[in-house]
Amino acid sequence: MSDEQNIKTEDGLNEKPEKCVAEKEEYLNNWKRERADFLNYKKDEAKRLEEFVKFANEAVILEVIDIIDDLERAHQNFVKQNLGGQAAQEGLDQVLKKFQDLLKKYGIERIRVEGAFDPLLHEAVAVPSEDLGEGRGGTEGDRLEELRAGYTMHGRVIRPARVKIIK
Amino acid sequence: MAIVEVGQPRILENKEGMRTTPSITAMGKNGERYVGVTAKRQAVTNPKDTIFSAKRLMGRRFSDTEVQHDKKLLPYEIKEGANNGVDIKMGDKWYRPAEISAMVLQKLKNDAEDRLGEKITEAIITVPAYFDDAQRKATKDAGEIAGLNVKRVINEPTAAALAYGLDKKKDEKIVVYDFGGGTFDISVLEIGDDTIEVRSTGGDTHLGGDDIDQRIISYFVEEFKKESGVDISKDQLALQRLKDAAEKAKHELSSTLQTEVNVPFLTADASGAKHFNISFSRAKLEELVGDLVKKSIDLTEQTVEEAGFKMSDINEVILVGGQTRMPLIVEEVKKLFGKDPHKDINPDEVVALGAAIQGGIMQGEIRDVLLLDVTPLSLGIETLGGVFTKMIEKNTTVPTSKTQTFSTAADSQPSVEIHVLQGERAMAHDNKTLGKFILDGIPPAPRGIPQIEVSFDIDANGILNVKAKDKATSKEQSVRIEGSSGLTDEEKKRMTADAEKFAAEDAKRKELAEVKNLGETLIYTTEKMVKENDAKIKEEDKKEISDKIQATKEVLKSDNLEEIKKATEELSKVAQRVGGELYKQQPSDKGQEASAQPNPENEIPEEDPKE
Repeated sequence: MSDEQNIKTEDGLNEKPEKCVAEKEEYLNNWKRERADFLNYKKDEAKRLEEFVKFANEAVILEVIDIIDDLERAHQNFVKQNLGGQAAQEGLDQVLKKFQDLLKKYGIERIRVEGAFDPLLHEAVAVPSEDLGEGRGGTEGDRLEELRAGYTMHGRVIRPARVKIIK
Repeated sequence: MAIVEVGQPRILENKEGMRTTPSITAMGKNGERYVGVTAKRQAVTNPKDTIFSAKRLMGRRFSDTEVQHDKKLLPYEIKEGANNGVDIKMGDKWYRPAEISAMVLQKLKNDAEDRLGEKITEAIITVPAYFDDAQRKATKDAGEIAGLNVKRVINEPTAAALAYGLDKKKDEKIVVYDFGGGTFDISVLEIGDDTIEVRSTGGDTHLGGDDIDQRIISYFVEEFKKESGVDISKDQLALQRLKDAAEKAKHELSSTLQTEVNVPFLTADASGAKHFNISFSRAKLEELVGDLVKKSIDLTEQTVEEAGFKMSDINEVILVGGQTRMPLIVEEVKKLFGKDPHKDINPDEVVALGAAIQGGIMQGEIRDVLLLDVTPLSLGIETLGGVFTKMIEKNTTVPTSKTQTFSTAADSQPSVEIHVLQGERAMAHDNKTLGKFILDGIPPAPRGIPQIEVSFDIDANGILNVKAKDKATSKEQSVRIEGSSGLTDEEKKRMTADAEKFAAEDAKRKELAEVKNLGETLIYTTEKMVKENDAKIKEEDKKEISDKIQATKEVLKSDNLEEIKKATEELSKVAQRVGGELYKQQPSDKGQEASAQPNPENEIPEEDPKE
């Protein structure tokens, strides 16, 4: 056999088997490393997938929230101008409540606008002084007014609350 | 921010779960430091202590004209610092631009460590191609202040080219067209033996997606005024809502030709609430911003000329920056260079991915790993009705193996022919035959009962072994196919292109084959039901079934999809009714019939009917 002849050549006698063993070790190690990489990757991927599923609806939810904003605006308008009578306003109120319950069911909570300004939850929007009297360029610790509702999904802010800061 | 994982670059999300992080730093009035999106959210309440665009000041002298120009525009304070540099005031302290930049890098480092659960010690940082040595040095300093060993500072366009793997294309000339949110950069690169050289840079530091948004907003304001007579150009809150609507419409018009802009209760006057509602077309958008795009194209032409090249010299064009999703930009760039630009990688992320690849190359993770091949085309076998059933999908990394169990297509079928094929077409005969063999000696059994295990195995050398084994007798046959990927590049391309070209036609033919299979299966099971329950079925039902079977058999000879569907459906209705009555007679046998139902997709005929 040619393989045997190779091994039996003068200088190959000692070197070849050692080289083979070293190569075997290297290959085995590389294979183990690949396996380990793969198993770790699978674990990471599973975690990522879990996260992905948790937030898979985020884009749709954000669009729904946009429409809820409009409904809320309509509601405020009706109340302010006393349109449609009390019963109609209450009805709309109930519709809005149903939306909030639905959101809650999927882990979405409305951000409460109270206490100090917190950029982790709130986004400040500039408001010209003439509209607000002295209320421009406020600082943290001032009173807040909600301009657009903010929401968290499973604890992560998916849309910060837009606020006006009033001194 | 991106990392290399198992040899592949991947975007790493920050703590807020976002894939990009704005380079903004702020010192809150409460002494808290904010970085990224949180700094951005508090910017209007705290303009003097919110630092953005620090990149513009990095490595510059205070006396530079650019710095003096920016000084007038920036809401925060800057002064001359040590070595004629610039110092920035944030809170009560003065910082060097590199220190401000380091705060952003520090946040990214922390977020990455949180995500990965590992310490991050090294980084590749990208900078605009026009950065000079001092600016690059300052960037490196920023990384080091943040506790990172900056392995290399690379150009943003170079990173984009790396992300597309263009570094391997010797002697090619590449244009990187980067239309971001606030700036427009154009770079001309030339790939050398082992380097990517920047031949020229150009652009406009005050042209970006924000300008496009502004045009849309102005148009909306005007339209609203025309419609309602109310001017809302001074109403910050209404403008904010129009800005949201403008961004949304802009995104939508990248994939559709027309969108509805609907902003109810935008404002109110004495007569009541006012709503904004218009139909906004891609054509209108393009009319509004056409000159901005034109400007970018002119600058591109100019920069290519400055590099000493003609438009036709350019081999590749890469699009970077979110605004390049706009179809008009893709079109104009294509027109200018006469070739399709690269745009498959997310244009907001391509630079970070390229930087990760550079990191991977330096660590040896990408170039030195064992190069594993992928199957260029799908592999599979022919099943009932001439359908190609894929076993190994294209682009699967080898070595790999797949096993699936099939069955016979006729009663007492003694053998199956395993017809091994390669390709993307739906019908077997449109694909390339790699080999064929027959597994015989299958004991007589009704259709669908024998279990034939077919396994495909491709080893690291690309040698394909296909084996079929009858589970009942353990009898097996196999074929070894060498050079299953021995197709030329042209062949691969042609076969993949054909699959796309004929996709609709193939789907139709496959549907026809499937519908025919379904009809035949139904005839088979119905006949079986009648035979097995001969005594229990009323004569008139038998007659009706027999008529319907005859009618179905007749249309099956044709290729009329609708007729076959109709006849099959009618037969199915009768068979189900009669079958239902049978079940009522013997409720204990329920379900047995269903489990023995043959499935044509898993059936292999005795031999290819077309041969």
